[in-house]
Amino acid sequence: MKVRNSIVGLIATLVIALSSFANIAKAASSDPIRIPVLNWSSQVVMANVIAQVYEELGYNVELVPAESASRYEAVRVGDLHLAHETWQSTMAKPMYEAMDKGGLIDAGSHAAPTLEDMGVPNWVIEQDLCPGLPAWEALKDCSANFATADSEGKGRWLEGPQEWHGDVMPNRLKGLGLDDKWTVKFAGSADALWAELAAAKKEGRGTVIFNWTPNFTDAEGFTFIKFPTFYQGCRIEDGGSVETTGCGSPIGWLKKAANIKFPLTHPSAYKFLTKMEATAGQIGEMANNVDNLGMTHADAATAFITNNRSAVDQWLK
Amino acid sequence: MQNANNSKPVIKCESVYKIFGPNAKKLLDDSNGKVDAKAFQEAGCIVGVNNASLEVYKGEMLVVMGLSGSGKSTLLRCISRLTESTSGKIYIDGEDLNAMNSKELIELRRNKMGMVFQNFALLPHKTVLENIAFPLQVKGMATKESVNKAMEMVELVGLKGRENYFPRELSGGQQQRVGIARSLAVEPDIWFLDEPFSALDPLIRKEMQDEFLRLQGVLNKTIMFITHDFDEALRLADRIAIMKDGIIEQLDTPDNIVLNPATDYVKKFTKDVPREKILKIESIMDPPDGNNSNSLKISKDAIIQTVAESILNSKEPISVIDPKNNQVVGTLYPSKVIKVLFGH
Amino acid sequence: MINNLKNSRPMQFGLLILVFLFFYFIIPHSENNYLWRFPPLFKGFPLFINNLIYNALYEWFPLKVWDPVFEMYEDKPIFREVTRAISRGVLFLIVFIREIFLGGAQTIGVFVDGSWMSANKWFTWPALPWTVVVAGFMLIGMQLQGIRLALLAGIGAFYLSFFGQWQPSMQTLSFVLITAPICFIFGLSLGIWGYLNNKVENALQPILNIAQTMPHFSFLVPVMILFGIGDHAGAIATIIFATPPMVRLTILGLKKISPEVVESGLMSGCNKFQLLFKVLIPTARTDILIGVNQVIMQCLAMTVIASFIGAKGLGFNLKLALNSLKIGKAAEIGICIVIIAVVLDKFSLAWANKQKNYFANLNFFQRNKNLIYFVVILIIGSVFAYLGSLYFNNINYLYLIPYEKGFSISPLIDSAVDWVWETFFYYLNSFNIFLITNVLVPMKNAYLGMPVISTFILVMGVGYIIGGIRSAVIVGLLILFIALSEYWDRALITAYMATFAVLISAVIGLVVGSICAQNSKSTKFMLFICDFFQTFPSFVYLIPVILLFGITDTSVLLAAIVYATIPATRYTIEGLRSVPLSLHEAGSMSGVSRLQRWTNIEIPLAFPHIMLGINQTVIFSLFMVILGALIGTEDLGQVIMGALSRSDGAGVALTLGIFVSFMCLAVDHLIRTWADRQKKLLGIE
Repeated sequence: MKVRNSIVGLIATLVIALSSFANIAKAASSDPIRIPVLNWSSQVVMANVIAQVYEELGYNVELVPAESASRYEAVRVGDLHLAHETWQSTMAKPMYEAMDKGGLIDAGSHAAPTLEDMGVPNWVIEQDLCPGLPAWEALKDCSANFATADSEGKGRWLEGPQEWHGDVMPNRLKGLGLDDKWTVKFAGSADALWAELAAAKKEGRGTVIFNWTPNFTDAEGFTFIKFPTFYQGCRIEDGGSVETTGCGSPIGWLKKAANIKFPLTHPSAYKFLTKMEATAGQIGEMANNVDNLGMTHADAATAFITNNRSAVDQWLK
Repeated sequence: MQNANNSKPVIKCESVYKIFGPNAKKLLDDSNGKVDAKAFQEAGCIVGVNNASLEVYKGEMLVVMGLSGSGKSTLLRCISRLTESTSGKIYIDGEDLNAMNSKELIELRRNKMGMVFQNFALLPHKTVLENIAFPLQVKGMATKESVNKAMEMVELVGLKGRENYFPRELSGGQQQRVGIARSLAVEPDIWFLDEPFSALDPLIRKEMQDEFLRLQGVLNKTIMFITHDFDEALRLADRIAIMKDGIIEQLDTPDNIVLNPATDYVKKFTKDVPREKILKIESIMDPPDGNNSNSLKISKDAIIQTVAESILNSKEPISVIDPKNNQVVGTLYPSKVIKVLFGH
Repeated sequence: MINNLKNSRPMQFGLLILVFLFFYFIIPHSENNYLWRFPPLFKGFPLFINNLIYNALYEWFPLKVWDPVFEMYEDKPIFREVTRAISRGVLFLIVFIREIFLGGAQTIGVFVDGSWMSANKWFTWPALPWTVVVAGFMLIGMQLQGIRLALLAGIGAFYLSFFGQWQPSMQTLSFVLITAPICFIFGLSLGIWGYLNNKVENALQPILNIAQTMPHFSFLVPVMILFGIGDHAGAIATIIFATPPMVRLTILGLKKISPEVVESGLMSGCNKFQLLFKVLIPTARTDILIGVNQVIMQCLAMTVIASFIGAKGLGFNLKLALNSLKIGKAAEIGICIVIIAVVLDKFSLAWANKQKNYFANLNFFQRNKNLIYFVVILIIGSVFAYLGSLYFNNINYLYLIPYEKGFSISPLIDSAVDWVWETFFYYLNSFNIFLITNVLVPMKNAYLGMPVISTFILVMGVGYIIGGIRSAVIVGLLILFIALSEYWDRALITAYMATFAVLISAVIGLVVGSICAQNSKSTKFMLFICDFFQTFPSFVYLIPVILLFGITDTSVLLAAIVYATIPATRYTIEGLRSVPLSLHEAGSMSGVSRLQRWTNIEIPLAFPHIMLGINQTVIFSLFMVILGALIGTEDLGQVIMGALSRSDGAGVALTLGIFVSFMCLAVDHLIRTWADRQKKLLGIE
């Protein structure tokens, strides 16, 4: 026991000595607010918007490159202070898991409703590759137009990475009785989805693909398929049956999360975060500034703030 | 010959053994000094050096001659303590080599020993100059001083103008000159040469041997020279040790080895040696007989072949003198020369 | 018959394959048949690992630390406090270098009171004007080698600025300038230790393999929790990944030194340290320098992955560009990464080869001329930067060209990609369909249709033939660990893709390597290509590959082959080039034809080195197959990626990571044992 204590003491001393020597992170209040930046435009621009507002408020800010699912763990242990763009269907799981462990708090939702579901780029409808879309029943007769080399003659649904929704889409095919004509392929990343969209367009081939809105693909035109209406508990995962699991996606939320100490260490920054309620239009504007107007992310954020000064002031009040 | 018996030997080996393999020490202890190579081999051990005893005196050049696998290089490595001998005593200037700790050993090597290697063993990343200065810098000598000293060495071995070359840019002979210069840089008393010229072309080898004799004439080091070339041994040695299977078969002066080979194995080497090219007059002369009328006088150190013609022309006995003091030391009968030249 | 079998390897393999096929077809495919699939006895293992990690990270040895925010003592696990202290040290170094290039106040902030800093916001260290840094690069090149290196470095640095990538480039550069030396020192020390001590070497091999083969995504979360998120975490992950080749090559190089050289060092009177640092290491430097080259390449190859856990710089921007399919932009950034890699590599080489002139009688000015030039340029550059601030309203082009405010040829690259697509797509597509339907799908089904018992017969049988009962047991145990999990089918898919990639890569590497090793020009060119593709982030060509081949196994395999061919080619070339000229001549004189010389002399002699390359090929291709999860696969990689968002993710990711490593270890063991035997047969070593 004594040995153990002295070892602990020694290590503790060492740790404290080391930390005090190279303590880049200073006392909590002068600690820069660390905001994760991920790999899609609207998220990065929003991070810059928040950063610029925080700088107005007199905080130091640091933008930290991060990865979408693992960032919640970092927010939870306090390495990041907040996570500002959390999509229901793809990120709810890691967020709530971090919350379960303690240390992460919900900082409210944005105003923008989100929709994440299977759909087709507009040219598929224009070229009439699947007559009857966007009604899901149309899928019964056009699967051959969506077959690929490795889909064994069935039509292919290109779903996002499997960790996003598990088996929701394969189950939906079963629920709708389409599983003898369609099969689900999981893409590895959002990048892969966009590459597939671009490739299908070049080729003029049809594709049924997972997508969401607001997104930069909105500009090119994208139509979501109309599945049977969602209700709580229709999916097998939520206690539904095979008959009901064919339901579509719900209108989702877009949340913000923060570290549990954030409200105490940076009160006015936290207040801004909770009050910030970006609309679909505003998120679209952020993405558009970069994707179509070619601004850098920082410039896009500045332009956004100038353009939406009154809204930003509302969030600051 | 300088081995005045009153002076102490610089290198002295007493019953040195080197056995490779596990349990070597135990096997050797059990064998009571009678090492049978075959029995050891069955026990998984290889005999490198078997009961070697020798002495080298100041300024003397001992050439150890043997074919590959004879243990000559192993013996040299025991004496330089690059390998630990399994048993036996080795004294350098009277000090017990095997009793030295690593610090003393390093001091010894830094100040008293130099070694030249068969494949030159130059450091590939250093220039000629840096290679030669290396032992000096290792000793802690300041860069400038060591470089100046190394430059002297470069001149000594005739590589001036090439001091900034890398070893890979030099020919074999030139590389070995660098090896020689490096081994001499610390001005050692003892000079080990491990088949220094074996990797060179015959012509270059001859040239290097001459060069080596010239250097030794100037430097007068105590030398152990390893070779597998009997001619080279005869050419260079003050004394020769012939080794076979780790055993020293014979240790004697070149003349004695040629004239009186101790074993059949040694005889194999001496059989075809042109004696007139090796033997000196001294080795075939008779005691002075006083009443020698012949005006012709020859030096006792002359090689027979070089003077044979004039001797044979004279028909009468000739006085042999010591070139140092012009004293007559013997008489030479031409018949003896004929015997050497044309056999028995 | 029995005697024949004992002596003939081909017959042994033949028999093995017969037995394998017998079981392959005889075992019914039923989930209840344990010969078809083992029961997942180790199902609980990921959770166990997860709890282990959880305890170590969150609960083991808590320290009471005062929390000024909540005004109470908070339990902080000691493990994490230690790792965090390391993080702070690494981060301090990275930020320090970064602020030299880009300016900032953090380094000074460490030494100055925090409240003073926040009260005096004006106080920041200025960035060096980019012109000065470019000139500085040139002077370093000049000092180290001469005008050619100076031009290369200068043009490279100019590109970084001109194309508007200055800030991220300097961020990445500062990152690499810290991680690469750490890898070098670690790798060299471990390598020396392994060289001096056989036991250490044997213990190191599997650890190195695991460190190098463990898929990044499997240790991303643990590293992030332990070390925090930021450049430091990225640096730690990079160090884990980039050190192994350095260790390996150090050991290899040291072992090749002839005993005479060691003896010559001893006879020169070296003590242990002098022998090590003045004789052994410099003599082994050819291999050590390849190690340094590999460290630099791997560090830069990691920039994109490192940005998943917080490393700033080019990697992050590249990821961002790719997400919106800006291939041209991404390629520009990728080239920046290559430039940094090439310049650093050339610098390190030139530094190692630098020759000293002892007799030049130089005065102070001559000795320090490049330093003096630099100071002069610094002053001039600063003055210009100041004048620039008066002249330009918005962006001071003479001081710092901000991100993406430079020149860009991305539209050009984009249209080139379009052109390639339009020209080749339809041919490639029919090839793709052919490949998938006739090769890949059957191969995949064959792997999946393999009863577990015949897998074991095959793997252990090969082990037995190659290395006797010991190898059979080692390999069997490694695979058993995977077979008892619930991820066996996925592991089979990983194995199928890796096998395919390794076969193709090894063949390409051997052939291309042998052809290019014929003369020094083609050697140089090919090694440059290797460097290029090793550092040019694979993410960049993943997108065009998807465009051409869709989200299919072909895309994944193509990416894997591009990457895995690098070590096969590189090591083949280096191995062949190191065959002594005298042996070439000896061969020619004994009247062998060019081809005979290649098969009978060069390949056998270069064999140990080439095997090292094949070993690396296996590692590289598994690495890319796992990373192929980003395109879309159904193998272990997909689960590892997915584990990022699962609550027991750390455990699952690490367990599956260990599976991948074990597959590598099994292959590594077989190759190594076989190579050792072969070496003994040939009398090498």
